[in-house]
Amino acid sequence: MGCSSSVPDRNTGRAGGINPENGGVNDPKNLRVKVNIMDSGVGKSCIVLRFVRGQFDPTSKVTVGASFLSQTIALQDSTTVKFEIWDTAGQERYAALAPLYYRGAAVAVVVYDITSPESFSKAQYWVKELQKHGSPDIVMALVGNKADLQEKREVPVQDGIDYAERNGMFFIETSAKTADNINQLFEHSALSPSLYVNVALNYVDSHHTELIISEMVGCRSPFMLLLL
Amino acid sequence: MYGGSGIQSKRDLEIEYQAQIPILRPSIHARRANMTVKFQDLYGFTVEGNVDDVNVLNEVREKVRQQGRVWWALESSKGANWYLDAHVSSTLKSSLKFSALTNAITLKRLIRKGIPPNLRPKVWFTLSGAAKKKSTVPDSYYNDLTSAVEDKVTSATKQIDHDLPRTFPGHPWLDTPEGHAALRRVLVGYSFRDSDVGYCQGLNYVAALLLLVMKTEEEAFWMLAVLLENVLVNDCYTNNLSGCHVEQRVFKDLLTKKCPRIAAHLESLEFDVSLVCTEWFLCLFSKSLPSETTLRVWDVLFYEGAQVLFNVALAIFKMNESQLLTTHHVGDVINVIQRSTHHLFDPDELLTVAFDKIGLMTTTNISKQRKKQEPAVMAELDQRIRRLNSVNEREK
Repeated sequence: MGCSSSVPDRNTGRAGGINPENGGVNDPKNLRVKVNIMDSGVGKSCIVLRFVRGQFDPTSKVTVGASFLSQTIALQDSTTVKFEIWDTAGQERYAALAPLYYRGAAVAVVVYDITSPESFSKAQYWVKELQKHGSPDIVMALVGNKADLQEKREVPVQDGIDYAERNGMFFIETSAKTADNINQLFEHSALSPSLYVNVALNYVDSHHTELIISEMVGCRSPFMLLLL
Repeated sequence: MYGGSGIQSKRDLEIEYQAQIPILRPSIHARRANMTVKFQDLYGFTVEGNVDDVNVLNEVREKVRQQGRVWWALESSKGANWYLDAHVSSTLKSSLKFSALTNAITLKRLIRKGIPPNLRPKVWFTLSGAAKKKSTVPDSYYNDLTSAVEDKVTSATKQIDHDLPRTFPGHPWLDTPEGHAALRRVLVGYSFRDSDVGYCQGLNYVAALLLLVMKTEEEAFWMLAVLLENVLVNDCYTNNLSGCHVEQRVFKDLLTKKCPRIAAHLESLEFDVSLVCTEWFLCLFSKSLPSETTLRVWDVLFYEGAQVLFNVALAIFKMNESQLLTTHHVGDVINVIQRSTHHLFDPDELLTVAFDKIGLMTTTNISKQRKKQEPAVMAELDQRIRRLNSVNEREK
């Protein structure tokens, strides 16, 4: 494990807060990051639950609109990062709600299921949607989930790597079931907005910088995480 | 097909409830430590709460019992279907007889105080219009429909199959092969009845709760039909959820009018209320509120109509006004709202605010607001489709 999990929620009643949309850093102790995830049934909720609760729950509830979770992790430089996670509905017809969650996002992690080529093309669709309509500063990562199901794999690793590279995205394969790479994914997500985070860290020079991350899901099979 | 086994399951379910849900007595350890305990509520859902929550639930149980006595007394003095007469007369106000008028007033007040769980199936079925809807088709409609579509595979049925185990997982009846099968038949049947709706995530929770209340699949099916076709606004669940988008916009305006300080504060945080309300309006609170509280909302929903959802949503914000005004970012707002909704074990606490503290909202006015918002919603959805198409075009 690259990070300490289950740090209690310390986010109540904090004054001020950075507003990433304006790029303003009002309160150095509170750097906000949003994570949005899009998917239906490829394991998005499972990834989030694995990350937040450290459990694999194959029967997480069907998400309607969006549900919300948070988790704080400590990075290696001992700064803490708070993820606020929006887990949103995966069915196609909910897609029109997507802008609600990705508005202003800085980092997006788009997730697909390695056993489903359909989910891989859906993931590519979300990448395009985000490139076109997300914040221009959006940083994206591509995640192939269900990596434990090697024998059922239909999307070659290389396809994921190539697509991610062409689009300037970070790539990782995860398994919510075995917990493989889950923490790495979120850690990396927290570090990704490198420019922004560095600016903030330098500015604060504090061990208590928080990244608040929200997450959402929007579409049928791909799985998208947005950080801002 | 649905038959003997269904009846058996209903009986099992009742027995199970009676066996598992006596008065809740948190252990002495739980009391001392004020720790979170898990327990089952009136409808078999596992809930987590502290000792205070358990006490509230016990009080609610007692109130439910008292309401039951009031309803039974009325049945014996006014006749078994007195509420049906009251309901019919209420639509012909000019020709009201005094007794019918008092019945209508009594009924509205009574329903806001809650329909006892054992009378719910009968009262809902009659007052919602489901009985009337069912009476317009042959008796075998539901059985014919479900057997005709049993083996068909569509995108809707695939999604339904995927969602069955993810609908109230762990519930002692819903999350069993039998519960899944019953829920599947209702949802699949409906997806063929209205192919514009097909299946929309959210309906799984609504139909599941209807099954628990109505006890028979067929009545649950008709309740779902009347809900989507008559009670709620049109197109709430169709492929672009346009009806739901309209409701969200109407709600935002209502919040600005009825709770201006909250609305202004949320706006300053760039908090869009749809972040929490979408789920409320699509699951009709079944995923957010404790079961008996949800069903109390539905009691009024089936009698008074969809604007009740606005009352309840506004009440949730209003009850949390002081806390909401101290929030500093989106996450805090969500946490305040979620903590509040998950612990609303006392339905009266919510409904008193919803109906006595929100101020009057007439049906006509709400309809006007909906009409006003429709063009904007359609334009927004159109624009989105064009955008998506242009993304796809460039791809080619």
